[in-house]
Amino acid sequence: MTTIQINGKDVEVDPKQPLIHALHTNGCDVPMYCYHPGLSPVGSCRICQVEVQQGEGPSRVVVSCRTPVADGMRVFPDSEKAHDVRRECLEFLLKNHPLDCPICDKAGECDLQDYSFAEGQGEGRSVEPRRKLEKRKSLGDVIVLDEERCILCSRCVRFMEEVPKTPQLTVADLGARSVIATFMDRPLTGKYQGNLADVCPVGALTLSAFRFQARVWNLTKTTGTCGECSRGCSVTTEVLRGGELKRFRPRYNADVNTWWMCDVGRFAIEEHSLEGRLVGALVRGSRELEPADPFDAIDRAADVFTAPGHPVVIASPWLTVEEGERLRDLAEALGSEVHFLSPPANDLADDLLHTGDPCPNRRGLEGLGFSPIDAEAALELLSGATSALICGERIGALLGEGLGELPEKLRLVVLDTMPLDVPAVRAELGVPSSIERTGTWINVDGHAGKLGIARSAPPGVAPLVQTLDDLVARLSTTATAGGER
Amino acid sequence: MSAHETYLLDRAVTENSHRLDTYRAAGGYETLEKVLKDPVEPKQVIEELKDSGLRGRGGAGFPTGLKLSFMPDVEKDPRPRYLAINADESEPGTCKDRVLMREDPHGLIEGILITCWAIRAKASYVYVRGEYRHEYDRVAQALEEARAAGLVGKNVLGTDFSCEIFMHKGAGAYICGEETGLMESLEGKRGHPRPKPPFPAGFGLWGSPTTVNNVETIFNVPFIIQRGAAWYRTMGTAKSPGNFLCGISGHVERPGVYEVPLGIPARQIIEEIAGGVWKGRELKAWIPGGSSTGLMPASTIDTPMDHDSLKEAGSMLGTGAIIALDETACVVRASEVIARFYDHESCGQCSQCREGTQWLYQVFSRIEHGHGRVEDVELLESLANGMAPGKTICALADAAAIPTHAVVRHFRDELLQHVELGRCPFDGNGGEGTATRREPAGASA
Repeated sequence: MTTIQINGKDVEVDPKQPLIHALHTNGCDVPMYCYHPGLSPVGSCRICQVEVQQGEGPSRVVVSCRTPVADGMRVFPDSEKAHDVRRECLEFLLKNHPLDCPICDKAGECDLQDYSFAEGQGEGRSVEPRRKLEKRKSLGDVIVLDEERCILCSRCVRFMEEVPKTPQLTVADLGARSVIATFMDRPLTGKYQGNLADVCPVGALTLSAFRFQARVWNLTKTTGTCGECSRGCSVTTEVLRGGELKRFRPRYNADVNTWWMCDVGRFAIEEHSLEGRLVGALVRGSRELEPADPFDAIDRAADVFTAPGHPVVIASPWLTVEEGERLRDLAEALGSEVHFLSPPANDLADDLLHTGDPCPNRRGLEGLGFSPIDAEAALELLSGATSALICGERIGALLGEGLGELPEKLRLVVLDTMPLDVPAVRAELGVPSSIERTGTWINVDGHAGKLGIARSAPPGVAPLVQTLDDLVARLSTTATAGGER
Repeated sequence: MSAHETYLLDRAVTENSHRLDTYRAAGGYETLEKVLKDPVEPKQVIEELKDSGLRGRGGAGFPTGLKLSFMPDVEKDPRPRYLAINADESEPGTCKDRVLMREDPHGLIEGILITCWAIRAKASYVYVRGEYRHEYDRVAQALEEARAAGLVGKNVLGTDFSCEIFMHKGAGAYICGEETGLMESLEGKRGHPRPKPPFPAGFGLWGSPTTVNNVETIFNVPFIIQRGAAWYRTMGTAKSPGNFLCGISGHVERPGVYEVPLGIPARQIIEEIAGGVWKGRELKAWIPGGSSTGLMPASTIDTPMDHDSLKEAGSMLGTGAIIALDETACVVRASEVIARFYDHESCGQCSQCREGTQWLYQVFSRIEHGHGRVEDVELLESLANGMAPGKTICALADAAAIPTHAVVRHFRDELLQHVELGRCPFDGNGGEGTATRREPAGASA
């Protein structure tokens, strides 16, 4: 460790990290545009200037992102001189910036806006017209570029070069005429483009899917874990009032995904749509499935499982460890084995984040004794059974159309996010999706990822843990009652 | 014209000066042979250059021997090392290196070979400005001759020393004359200057130790090695020894490239060597060393042309390219032209430079074209203060700020006169004219 002095206070800092890192980890909120902890530093925006004194020499103003820390270095990030040079720099950055914050999707989470608000002079000294450039240039399906807002920090260029290692962006032309461009205006490719909107410190690169969708200050942000592969990237789940899911954004996790996430997970928004969700419970009436009180549905499910025979139990790969434990205990009580549906690996695997394994909790479930099973084998197992429980988010969708072919003698209990109307179903209850419940997934490397409640589940939908507990309780009363008889 | 010892242009004025046999007949490559075969140890070469006090002729005036000595010890650092020659002469007003390349390319090649020996480089790159087609061809042709004569390539002059020289044509960007921008460009990337540290001597071309030197600087090397540091110090001043090539342009009778000793008063160059201000007019302003060094008032022409005297006078020797402006010239117009150049040539990395160079041009242009405000003078100064010194990755922002400071300091009245009149006082049409020089309003009638 290296000891430096920040504002007169000695602190221990990591000698391998630039000065700006030491400042940020010690509560000094020095602004940054071109610097990003996950990218190589170029020191071009010059906004992170601080005053530094080494030895007895005169103090110097340096860019903290390109300055290594050295023992005995005295840093004055908040000196008058440091503020002055940063204010000067800010004025230049704003010279051609359109200041169209009222219509900018980045407003509210824009580094340039924040710092202008904190230190800007309120009035521009430039009477010249600002640069007129393309305001909405499509860079492919994912990203829209606003050349006027761009402050040419080149984070996007470096991101494409250094992270997915698919260099596609560059700074074209010179000086104040510079713009971010792709070769021959070709659309961007790859499945990490969404990160460009995150690394962009201003509203120059925005997600076409998020454009004009929400003001970011209206979004409620909850920590969560991505469920689209077994990497389990840490994310922030952002929902609008009314519970509409608007964005997933990567959340820094040094062990799992660092600053990034793939577009597969980022745009898995539809999967959490509230439309068509199973609300409350359904039970089989004389012919049709009819809405029912969840307690009645649990009664009906208990009836199914108290009949002789061992029900087949198949869990969704999205089941959390906590839910898996309850389900395993229930299955043990019923004398059944536990399986989880494991779809075949997809072709999305890469050497960055995506594992290609669509089961976010494979390690967790296997650790609990669940055995993986594919849809075909699962359906075969089901068609030979007299009773069964299929349980968890998206399980019906994963088993697919084959569910409709199951014999009517099979008495099927379903716990799923979406309703399933096949002849075998006797009772079904809604479950929360993975942005509506707490729990833990164990990722491919054994790291635990926590789920968080970003919005409440639809009405009448209880946490799966509670539903399983209720079912266990109901079964035990039935068993006790039977014993007394 | 004053009589002083010359050496730089002595060969250049002879017939067929660019040919190998002419060069050899004048004693060319003898110094190289002596260095390689005697041999003169690389350290000795660097020591001799240090003793001579030779300072870089590219603009910054850094001591050359010291720069070469920054190259890491070859015993401790096995990486290949390179010498890059900055022939991207693009500082406005500067036209000295082209004369050397065109008329005396073998002098440059010999300088390169001796310097490579000194820093133990096996390869050198000559980065020639894209517009210098003729000069490029001349050096390339000389290189062919030298290679055929066993002077370049494997086993130079039959010794163990091997050195290859590669030519590279730039595409006309000013920023590629900045040493790290030049290296990026050589590597095939955009000519964006690199932040320093690391310095080229530690991490240069392809991450290897590199020294970047100007053509004229390297051209001096064989003379110093051949005739000795003591001889070199008989010319110029104590802190800036030697002769330099002064390219003088603008409103003088005999513009051109002249060899003069450092420390010669600018007055002597303008009034005697270049024949004085043309058409019998008075001098109004002059630029000592390329546009980046700023306009100086005529009253300062007694300043000696050396690094320290000009620094004291608030300017720089730069590339030693004098531009003279006569009394009919408008300094605001001149500043507008200079500012437009930096706006055009800023690479666009650093915020202050990218936006500041454009802003300066816009303000100068506004004042010149009759839309200036009194507060613009203060704005100019404050913008220049925001851009420099040392606030950006490279010195281009400084190069734009220095002339701005200079014009505000020395010609504030003329700026304010433009603002008050609402037009350019040197132009009948309110400053809406072209970039051509204009007659004063009264004289054209």
